[in-house]
Parts: sequence; C-alpha cells; structure tokens
Amino acid sequence: MNSATIPIALFFAAIFTNNILLANYLGMCSFLSVSREIKTSVGLGVAVIFVMASTSMLNWIVYYKILIPLELEYLRFIVFIIVIAAFVQLVEMIIERVSEVLYAALGIFLPLITVNCAILGVSLFMVIREYSFLESFIFGLGSGIGWFLAIMAMAGIRQKLKRARIPHGLEGAGITLIITGMMALAFMGFSGMLPIG
Amino acid sequence: MVSALLISVGAVSGISAFLALLMVIADATIANYGEVKITINKDKELDVKGGKPLLGTLMEEGIFIPSACGGRGSCGLCKVKVTEGAGQFLPTELPWLSEEERSNNIRLSCQLKVKNDMFIEIPEELFNVKEFRSRVSGLVDLTHDIKQVSLELIDPAEIEMVPGQFVQLQTPEYELTDEPVYRAYSVSSNTSDTRRIELEIRLVPNGICTTYVHNYLKEGDEVIFNGPYGDFHLRDTDREIIFIAGGSGMAPIKSILLGMVDENNPRRARYFFGARSKRDLFLTDKMKELEQKLPNFSFIPALSNPEPDDHWEGDTGLITDVVAEHMESGNNTEAYLCGSPGMIDACIKVLTDKGVPEELIYYDKFG
Amino acid sequence: MKQTPQMKKIQDNMRPGVLTLNGFLGTDTRDLVEILEEDAAEVRRLRTSHRAIAEKMSILRDQGMRGLGEFIDVEPHFEVRVDSVRGGIPSPFGDAGLLRKTNTTVRNRRLTREIVFTDVNIHLIGEHGFYEGRGSLFRLEPAELVEILEVETEKQQTDLPG
Repeated sequence: MNSATIPIALFFAAIFTNNILLANYLGMCSFLSVSREIKTSVGLGVAVIFVMASTSMLNWIVYYKILIPLELEYLRFIVFIIVIAAFVQLVEMIIERVSEVLYAALGIFLPLITVNCAILGVSLFMVIREYSFLESFIFGLGSGIGWFLAIMAMAGIRQKLKRARIPHGLEGAGITLIITGMMALAFMGFSGMLPIG
Repeated sequence: MVSALLISVGAVSGISAFLALLMVIADATIANYGEVKITINKDKELDVKGGKPLLGTLMEEGIFIPSACGGRGSCGLCKVKVTEGAGQFLPTELPWLSEEERSNNIRLSCQLKVKNDMFIEIPEELFNVKEFRSRVSGLVDLTHDIKQVSLELIDPAEIEMVPGQFVQLQTPEYELTDEPVYRAYSVSSNTSDTRRIELEIRLVPNGICTTYVHNYLKEGDEVIFNGPYGDFHLRDTDREIIFIAGGSGMAPIKSILLGMVDENNPRRARYFFGARSKRDLFLTDKMKELEQKLPNFSFIPALSNPEPDDHWEGDTGLITDVVAEHMESGNNTEAYLCGSPGMIDACIKVLTDKGVPEELIYYDKFG
Repeated sequence: MKQTPQMKKIQDNMRPGVLTLNGFLGTDTRDLVEILEEDAAEVRRLRTSHRAIAEKMSILRDQGMRGLGEFIDVEPHFEVRVDSVRGGIPSPFGDAGLLRKTNTTVRNRRLTREIVFTDVNIHLIGEHGFYEGRGSLFRLEPAELVEILEVETEKQQTDLPG
C-alpha cells in the first residue's frame, strides 16, 4: 500500500488518527506503570520520541540496504530488535558523557524503552506500509509524539483519580485500562479525518 | 537451502558483531574519561582514572570520606567541597544540600562523577583515616546482648587515635547479605596500645553487622575497618567531669578513663551508668579497679527496673533523676554523654538545670 | 507490572541484607508499586491518611521518650515505652538521612492490645505510605494501627472533592 500521502498528513495521522498506543494498542506496559507521575511521564515520553524517530530511520537503512539485497526480509524481527538495543545502549553512553543532568532525567529510562513494543511496532509498520526514508522519519516522530500525548493525558487524569473513590477490585491496573479504553474511543472519533494506511 | 541458511546466519551474526564492535569502541572512547588530576586542599595531587564517583575514587587512593550507606546516596554524610571541576548539581544531590551548602560548592561525593580535573577541599583529620586489616584476638560476652570484640592489627600494624573516637567496621558479604556494609563503633580500649583495639557491640534485632558479629565472627577471622573518626574526646581543662552512658555507650567512656589512668589525671570524675536491671550491668569489676587507680573517680550505676532477685542496693530510678540527686551545682563542670538522642536530650536538660553551661556538654553524635 | 527505574532501585534497596538483615519486603513477591497501591486503598477505606497515622505514631513516641526506656503513661489510656540503640539506617527511598533505630511499644489499656513500631516505620508511612511487605517482621497493618493507636478518621464525605 504505497501511501500517496503528503508528509504533513502522515505526521498528524501518526499522532492522532493512528495513535500508536490508543489506536494500535502498542507500548502499553510502561504506559500503565509510568503514568502515575507527571514528571516521570515527561521524561519517558521525550525519550520515546527520540528513540522512535531515530530507530525508524536506522531500521529503514538496515532493511532496504542489507536485508532486502540479501533476501533476508524474514529476519527483520530479530535484526530490528538488535539494532534498537544497540542504539539505545550507545545513546545512553553518549548522554552520560555529555550531560550528567540530562542522563539523570532521561537516561535512566532508556533501558526501559528497549523492550517497549511500540518501538519495534513503528519499524514493522514502516515495512508493511512501504514508507520511504523521509516518511519513516516522519512516521516515527509522529508516533512518538502521539505516545507522549497519550501518556501525558493519562498522567493528568491519574492525578485527578487520586481523590476519587474507586471500587476495590478496579484499583490500579483495572481503572487505568478502562480509562485507556475510553481515551481510545475518543480518539476513534478522529479516524475519518486523515485516511492513511 | 544450505546457502540460504549460511547467508541468514552470517548476516545476523555480521550485524550483531558490527554493533558489538561499535559498543566496545564506544565504551573505550565515549565512556572512557581517561586520567584526571584531583588536587586536594591546593596541596596534594592525585592522578586517577576518571568515570567513577568521587567517593569511590578517593577511597581507592586511601582517603576515606565518611559514608554510612555504601555510596547509595541515602545518608548524606559524604559531603565534600569541590571548588572547581564539578559540573551541574545532580537531582540526586539536591535533597541533601542546603542553599548555603550549594553556594559554597559542597557536593555529595557518592553521586558526583569524576570526569575532569578537580580541586577539592577536605578537613585535615580525614587524612589520618586509613583502612586497616586486623584479626579477631578475642570475643567475650559482656551481657546477654553485648559482645566485646578484640582486634589485633595486621596492616597497618598501628593506629594513632584519641580516646573517645570510633571506627567503621566492615561486615563482609556473608550468608545473609550480598555486599559489604560498614557500621560505626566506638573504641573501648586504651588508645596508647596502638597495636590493638577493642569494641563493645550490642546485638540489634535485624541488624546486619551485629548479627554477623554475634553469630558468625570467630577468633582468628580477619576483619577490615577504617578510622579513626569522631570529635568526642576529653577536653584538657581542670573542670570536674560527669560521664553519663549506658549499655554499649560505655565504650568511649572506658577508653577515656583508661587514658586518664595513664596520665594520672587528678580531675574529679563521676560516671553515671544507667541500665534496666542487674543483667544489663557489666565490667563492674573493671570500674572498681579504675576507682582504685584514679585519684578521684567514682562509678555510680543506677537501675531503672531492678528484678526482685537482683537484691539491688544501689541507686534506682531513671538515670536523669539519679544524676540530679547526686549533683550539687554545675559550677566548673563538663559533661560527656553517650547514648540515644532521647537520653541525651533528657540529660542535657538536667545538667543545664543544675548550671552546667550547654557548650560544656559534649556528646557523641553518631547515635 | 513494570516500574520506573527509580522504583526498581528503591525496591532493590529493600531486599534482605542491603540496609537491614531481613529487608523491608518480607515474603512479598509483588512489585513495590502494587504494595503501595493496595495499602493506600486500605487507608482510604479506613477514612484516614498516611500522614494522620504517622503523626499519631510520632506523638506517642515523643511522649514515650520521657520514660527513658521504661513504660510511661500517656493520655488518655496508653502506656508507651521507647528504647533506642545507636546508629542509623538510611531510608530505602533515598531521602531523609539516617533514620534512628528507635522502638516504640504502645499498650492500649482500654482495648488491652499492644503494638510495636520503629522510627523507620514512622518515616516510611508518613512520607511514602509504605507499611512494609507481607511477611516482613516489621510490617504494620493500617487497620491495626488505626484501631490500637486510635487514629482520628474523617467524617462521612458526601460532597465531591473541589
């Protein structure tokens, strides 16, 4: 499905209509646990944006320049994960060197992101929808921002939830998932606006 | 088929190997901070490998900054003044530093990593703190929960210290722990004997170090400790002395008294020892011996809750009440206290009520 | 459930042999965040707060300190004994410096029940809502604390919070 989309449409679609978390249900576990606190949500969100945008580009290069010429497309699952892990490790080292403060704010989340399925998901979507290099970058950046939006919204809602009286059985994960579902329903309202893949 | 298999295995291995190589190079370059110079008190210079926290780096060079939590950032004791080369304050340091400390360049040395040349300032006393290897030469039960541990120094073979100071004993990792842990104990022996030290260690439920000492340590075992630390010592004046300490708080007092015997110190001294019942009393013979050896010393034990079987004929009641009864006026008197914060606060009140100036009341603060 | 790296570090500090011999988690295998959430819910159900419980504990401890290691009467019908040993334990949450090793025993004469808690408990409950893991020797059940120490509870709330 070669999308004849304008880059800006793709960008907004990645954030809203095809939100990686609320429409595609990827990246849920760190979303559920980290959204307790707004400060940590910001840290994790920014780290996710950075890693998603970068790895979608890297994986595009690896897929189209190495795997396809060697007819090894089926290995993309393993190879993408290896690339993501190595990239995150490198970035952690660089951040620690350059700025101790930035490392304390962001760097500690990087190992958590390696296993975030949304990161792998973005790279796989890139393959399925046959995006170009530029489109991969925009899609990765947009998806990251969409994930960031979702976790910030959830963190804000959970602050309010602290004063609410929730039925015993639903506390914690239960109510959070219900709210995520309601947010997903709300975002479905966007779906007609920007048709992409 | 085989060639496809070989290509796929080769490709994945190739990519992984390339990335691993990248990691190794990065580790050697980006994460490698090389050699840096730390200048202490504008005088001493150390050439060290960068990349580790300041606390650990200094420890490897034989300089021991006090720390109770093993560099985890949870005790706030390892503060060091860094005048140059420190970089921005880390979020893990900020909770421990007041406004004033921050403006004075005080940093938490267990969190601050050494990445470039640094200029630091530390108190001179810390240079005298060394790490010692020693051997257990004696283990004696003083009461049901206090053990006297005698350590014979191996390397360095001698320790220079003042009566009243303490050392940090290292509990190595043993059956119940994963890593070494340090705990502070006052030295109870005569410090003029520089080749050995004695500690009085009370068993604390759920205590890592005390459980090790009471249940695992044997004669002949090697023990590592560092020191000496502490500011609690006898001031050189003519004033009368009042000592108040119970339980393992006796340790620094005993050391001070032994020091007084050596110099035949003529000052009048009274030691009020508070305990619950007779089974908490110990070394009473030693105290009687000191009463003979010193010109003007009396040992006054007081039990707050004697058992009927104790047939106790000495003072009874709370230690603060006993002190109040015995004291006439606080004129020309200094006091040395060793115990829990609650006991110290209560004693300070009694002493100041009797006229002892607060600045002449000294206590060991690591309680 | 995944935890933030900070929480994981704190939970690692709570394991046996790191700060204390038996640690703070007992035989509880749950994540720290789950433990905190469940106890927070229990406290809400009891219509009180972590702060209120910790404050009552502090008040009784401060009154009990006057006894210097012996039982002392505290209004209205408590007997409290406070004893301590030297030294301090760092907080597993990495705050507050060294917490004193002080044990407070409170006897409620009216209910003829007794409970023991430490200064570490007071800090962990008041600042973090942490009552220790199930099976820990020093675990305190919020319900027991509220009952024996007679912690004030909120009146019925019928309005929605502002």
